[in-house]
Amino acid sequence: MQIEILYPEICNLFGDSGNMRYLRQCLPEAEFTATKLCDEPLFVKETPNFIYMGSMTEKSQGRVIERLMPYRERIDELIDGGTCFLFTGNSMEVLGESIKSNDDMLEGLGILKIRAKRDMKNRLNSLFLGKFEKMDIVGFHSRFSTADSEERGFAEVIRGCGTNADSKTEGVRKNNFFGTYLLGPILVLNPDFTRYLLELIGAEGKIAFEETARQAFKLRLAEFKDMKRHLD
Amino acid sequence: MGAVRFYIALWSAKLIQLAIKILGKNGTYFPGKAAIKLCPDFLGRIGRPRTVIGVTGTNGKTTVCNMTADLLDAMGEDVLSNRAGSNINAGVATALIEGSSLTGKSKKKIAVLEIDERSARLIYPYFKPDYILCTNLFRDSMRRNAHSEYIASVLTEYIPKTSKLILNADDLISSAIAPDNERVYFGMERLECESEARENIVRDISVCPECGRTLTFDFRRYHHIGRARCECGFASKTPDYLALSADFENMKLKVSERGELREYSLITDTIFNIYNELAAITILRELGKTTEEIEKALKNTKVVQSRFLEESKNGKTVTMLMAKGLNAVACSRGFDYISRESGKKIVALMYDDIFDEKNTSENIAWIYDVDYEFLNTDDLVQVIPCGVRAADGKMRLLIAGVPEEKITPVRCEAEVADTIRYTEADRIFLLYDVYRHNIATKVRAEVMKKIEGLA
Repeated sequence: MQIEILYPEICNLFGDSGNMRYLRQCLPEAEFTATKLCDEPLFVKETPNFIYMGSMTEKSQGRVIERLMPYRERIDELIDGGTCFLFTGNSMEVLGESIKSNDDMLEGLGILKIRAKRDMKNRLNSLFLGKFEKMDIVGFHSRFSTADSEERGFAEVIRGCGTNADSKTEGVRKNNFFGTYLLGPILVLNPDFTRYLLELIGAEGKIAFEETARQAFKLRLAEFKDMKRHLD
Repeated sequence: MGAVRFYIALWSAKLIQLAIKILGKNGTYFPGKAAIKLCPDFLGRIGRPRTVIGVTGTNGKTTVCNMTADLLDAMGEDVLSNRAGSNINAGVATALIEGSSLTGKSKKKIAVLEIDERSARLIYPYFKPDYILCTNLFRDSMRRNAHSEYIASVLTEYIPKTSKLILNADDLISSAIAPDNERVYFGMERLECESEARENIVRDISVCPECGRTLTFDFRRYHHIGRARCECGFASKTPDYLALSADFENMKLKVSERGELREYSLITDTIFNIYNELAAITILRELGKTTEEIEKALKNTKVVQSRFLEESKNGKTVTMLMAKGLNAVACSRGFDYISRESGKKIVALMYDDIFDEKNTSENIAWIYDVDYEFLNTDDLVQVIPCGVRAADGKMRLLIAGVPEEKITPVRCEAEVADTIRYTEADRIFLLYDVYRHNIATKVRAEVMKKIEGLA
């Protein structure tokens, strides 16, 4: 089994690297390839089972778009072919049509029908509770951007902010591409979703440290559902 | 009209300050907050000392600010400082109100003020320090600070063009702020005692900011601190003040000052604090103080050890180590320190955010940026993640490879003293967030009591 981590030297903000550290524990036999900014991605010549990219700075989004642009069609082909992707934080924006800020407009890869807007004066911090395929999803948002999306959402919003302030869904799902503004170790936080993803890539069985993961999840879920607790 | 508003704000704030003193309350920023509310450009109107030094940065700014103020005090200067107060705009205003007359004129000739990086946009448009010293920039609380590149951009946007900058040449991020300003760099050679840094999870800069190629580090001290270069020609800045060696036996620090060799008393034995001392020496030299004046003052100065306390009894040593929670680098430095200490160790982790635990649910993503892997050593016998997030702490430790039988999570700090397996270890480390100081002090007292009972 092959797992590709895209640009971990820059796409590693906000504890996102915890996802791959956890996946290594869940899949001890899998081969992990960390593709650096100066490398040709593994997915160009091969078809990894799973491709991950984490949060990055706004400046890094420009660099990543530049590096991925030559492989635009290949990424499109992989998504259409059902390859599993997980893009966390602001990383899904690079596959969108554009990222607009007050004084700048960055053209994305145009694979996803999303248009992001940055507001560097206002940071959106919030907890998130949502539903994905009848599973509870918990996570954290901490971002400068929101997006208008014409894509199917990743999760239904129960509490917290969606893709934008008015959106009833959070993130993007296109075939087995999962893009979410949720950041940090979402695989550690969501044992049901992690098990779902592993089954999707053909790695059935227990997830690592499942009992502790479920204990932490249960507690967090109760807190997120407690209406006396604020989310921001 | 503006002047009238200013005097109303000043006198109201002075009355509040007086009331706070009479009532014996702590109001480290309230008078300033009231003044700014009444007069939004208050910081631009109040009289300022002839020389103003601002100290900012992610880690070490309190230490550098206090050390610089202490050294100036020892030299006989009458220093205005916010060392007992807050470092946001209201805290700076409170210090200036305290140091001003009823007409708003400054009673002091020099100020050393700690300034929060995020408050740059609220302070610098009105109040322009002559010198701004930036210790370093690392990722910090993601909610407040986003990431270090963002904070660097905020500083670059708001730092006054007239401020002379004192910057850390070993930090590629903070050394690049406000590129058009006059600047002086300090830095440190690789010391004899330093081994090659271990791989940290967080390295806030790893590709060249000019061309995007991977940077080559000739020496990496920790995280992104060190000397780096890129094949495009981009490289770390050359320090004007370069610490060449630290002699811990005789407590001496050798510094090359623009090529001239000087020697100072070393008042610390940790690398992090050597940077802080060097930063303080640099600013004092830039103010025109002589090496002899600084050396004389150093002999009467100590680094305030509020973040580190150690006591031994019955063959056990208990160490309290405070670090800013939500700050992955500060916590990783603590883990690195523990892992390099000898002896069988027990570690209690009290990092839960005190404000979030009651009213919301803590965003724990930051713990995945902390080098928990450093705790996974053979001489670790027990680790106790504490608080409502104990299960998250256990999960992080498991992912770091710590065997499950060594992890004892407890839901409340009050359980720590009863949970420690005293007979198995000779070192006990109590690690805690800044806001848990009182709780950690209680835990320490209970632990010491238990140790006394072991005799």
